[in-house]
Amino acid sequence: MNWNKFFTAFIGAFIFLFVFGFLWYGTLMRGAHEEVPALFRTKPDFAWLILGHIVMAFFFTMLCIRFVPAGGVFGSAKLGILVGLVYAGPHLISFAVEPLTTKILGGWIVGAVIQFAIAGGIVGAIYKPSSPPTSRR
Amino acid sequence: MKRFILAFIAAYVFLFFWGWLLNGIVLKDIYAETPNLWRPQSEMMSLFHWIIIGQALIVFAFVMIYASGFAGGGVMAGIRLGVLLEIAAIGMRMGFYAVQPFPGKLIVYGSISGLIEMIIVGAIVGAIYKPASARTP
Repeated sequence: MNWNKFFTAFIGAFIFLFVFGFLWYGTLMRGAHEEVPALFRTKPDFAWLILGHIVMAFFFTMLCIRFVPAGGVFGSAKLGILVGLVYAGPHLISFAVEPLTTKILGGWIVGAVIQFAIAGGIVGAIYKPSSPPTSRR
Repeated sequence: MKRFILAFIAAYVFLFFWGWLLNGIVLKDIYAETPNLWRPQSEMMSLFHWIIIGQALIVFAFVMIYASGFAGGGVMAGIRLGVLLEIAAIGMRMGFYAVQPFPGKLIVYGSISGLIEMIIVGAIVGAIYKPASARTP
């Protein structure tokens, strides 16, 4: 593994995931979240928010590199879409057990798929190993 | 295709019973501490199909990722995929904890059980799904 490129890809993924999250969930969906104030904190706990995004970006980058060791925007974006779908599943489950609105559910699912597809594309564009891989596993 | 469907069904059955055991029995008392965050029982039951669809989506996307990038690695490759996906999901859970007033212990227990769950899902998928080339002599 090329650790320098891995680290650059991880930083790129982290910045994108965080900024997209702020714009999509924190700004665009703000009104939808305010319809159910009991389900949200009045002020986000930024320490947990940042730490969560670091963990998410680090292991997502690792997954992209394992999945598409040769790098490449499209292969990693395809993985990002599938990862977005894995995480959309818990949103559907949350909708069944938490009093979320369909607007929130739709926003979270679409957001997850777009967010991870683009994050995957970013990782694929940045991470390119110096020598060709011998195995995908 | 047959192996894909078999892997999907086996992993789904496990996920369904694990979810029921964990959320319906083990963590029941913790959920009861924050009734304002959850739908009433009758409402949850009327939306139960979303839980089934959500779990099916998680397993479907998991098997798709395994089949496209990890297949052939067997049980260990499945476990590796499960671990990477779940640790990234723990990051996402931290993000939810930052904005939603969930009890901290729910996040901790949910993350530990999620890791065990995805390790077992990965092992099931890795044991059952074999790419066509690996099966043809």
